[in-house]
Amino acid sequence: MTLLKVNNLRKRYGKHEAVKGISFQLEEGRCVSLLGPNGAGKTTTLSMLAGLIHPTSGEIYFQGISGTDFRQQIGFLPQYPSFYNWMSGREFIEYVGKLAHIPTGEIRKRSDEVLEFVGISIAKNRKIGSYSGGMRQRLGLAQALIHKPKLLILDEPVSALDPIGRREVLNLIKSINKETTVLFSTHLLHDAEEISDDLLIMHRGEILLSGDMKMVMSEAQQPVIHIKGESSLEKWAEQLKTYGYITKIICNHEHLQIMVTDLEESKSKLLKEIAEKEIPIRKFEVAETTLEDLFMKVVGV
Amino acid sequence: MRQLFTIYCKEVMELWRNFKWIWVPLVFIFLGVMQPITTFYMPEILDAVGGLPEGSVIEIPLPSGGEVLAKTLSQYGTMGILILVLCFMGIVSAERESGVVGLIMVKPVSHTLYITAKWLGAASLTFVSFLFGYLASWYYTNLLIEKVQFFLVVKSFFIYLPWLLFVITVTLFVSTYLKGSGAIAFLSLSIAAGLFIVTSFLSQNMGWSPAMLPSYSTSLIVAGQLDSGLFSAVLATFVMIVVLIVGAIAYFKSTFHMG
Repeated sequence: MTLLKVNNLRKRYGKHEAVKGISFQLEEGRCVSLLGPNGAGKTTTLSMLAGLIHPTSGEIYFQGISGTDFRQQIGFLPQYPSFYNWMSGREFIEYVGKLAHIPTGEIRKRSDEVLEFVGISIAKNRKIGSYSGGMRQRLGLAQALIHKPKLLILDEPVSALDPIGRREVLNLIKSINKETTVLFSTHLLHDAEEISDDLLIMHRGEILLSGDMKMVMSEAQQPVIHIKGESSLEKWAEQLKTYGYITKIICNHEHLQIMVTDLEESKSKLLKEIAEKEIPIRKFEVAETTLEDLFMKVVGV
Repeated sequence: MRQLFTIYCKEVMELWRNFKWIWVPLVFIFLGVMQPITTFYMPEILDAVGGLPEGSVIEIPLPSGGEVLAKTLSQYGTMGILILVLCFMGIVSAERESGVVGLIMVKPVSHTLYITAKWLGAASLTFVSFLFGYLASWYYTNLLIEKVQFFLVVKSFFIYLPWLLFVITVTLFVSTYLKGSGAIAFLSLSIAAGLFIVTSFLSQNMGWSPAMLPSYSTSLIVAGQLDSGLFSAVLATFVMIVVLIVGAIAYFKSTFHMG
């Protein structure tokens, strides 16, 4: 079932068009990652969905809501969340909870629940001003979840965290996704590949690719052979370019990345040639294209 | 309505946590107490700073209690206003600047209630500070100069109060539109001072101006008389306060997409 539908959404800043009429929809219960290089328009798109900036044109429909104000149904975590630093974590969560119409009798219990869930209940009575970056990110997640929204929108939730914090927040997102639809932007492709069901790739204000992660990946899957030589392989690479079974070759000194049409055929041919020409190699690896390769291909780098 | 109360409580708590509930009333009390004290001790003060030349005879008439309170009001009209504007210049802009307003407005919060609650918070502090300061001034005037009718003090308080509320409303309005605190303070003070100057030049035609309230209040406490333009000035002040708040809400709302 479609939770959110975006139709021809556009945002112009003066002459610069940050988002160029994008359309997509989010299915209920999915975890959707919005990928794109810096300046692709990810933050602008998410801020429009959260109602923080006006779209220049276009429509956003939310399941079951006739008007344009569906703030009750969304939780939003901006890239750099800021809080009232003079409040304690719990005071802030209770404050936004009250603003989101949680009944007075339930507010204490509910805020303890979310603070426990994001793992900062030990620090809940401390002033937010003393929180570390990771704790602020968790508090940001807690405030987004407090009113049990149907859609959680996260802008670069893990980009600023250390590897441990990143892992923990990713696990949190996974467990949130059991009950809530999640849309998050990131430029960390590995994370996206790991936790999302669907993906949207944005570049220069347009959506270039969208769909089910597994399907998109298997469609784009292409056998690839990595070769590492002891010295520069560039000369050999020039020769290889003329062979019919090779679709694309990327050469970087002693590293070769070879996309091929038929894996078995090309593997044996290449190995034979290496043996005949006595090309000094260190590594010969058969692999499949990753999300990163797909991403690079789509954004045309 | 519950949202209004929630945000108002947060405003009051914030003013408490950054000690504005302490120092703003203290400044008003200080300004209020200084007038009767310096007036009373003027001969001693002159003596202490070197005295008058030998043989000079100067009569310093002790002013009436009403005149001392009028001087207190004129202190509030300058120093008091300066303090209030500096205190509230960031009332909306600071939250926009820090970005926290984004986190608040993604919740289903009414823009109208958000601005109204902020105004109520600022108005509460203004009311309490002015009340304590003016009462302290009245107390010392009674003690050192002469008794002043309590009823007159109360009336002049409520005639002067709308002028202070008008000034903080201007500050709130400017704070909604602009970002830098310095620019907000400068513009707010300029508007208040400008209106005051224009009004004093055209006082014949501008009896309704909010900037006439200080002079109405003063003439009441000094001479006990109510000027004829008083009613229209109070009315105009409240209308302008409402218009400014509505203008602030409209602009604030226009910067967001939902609600």
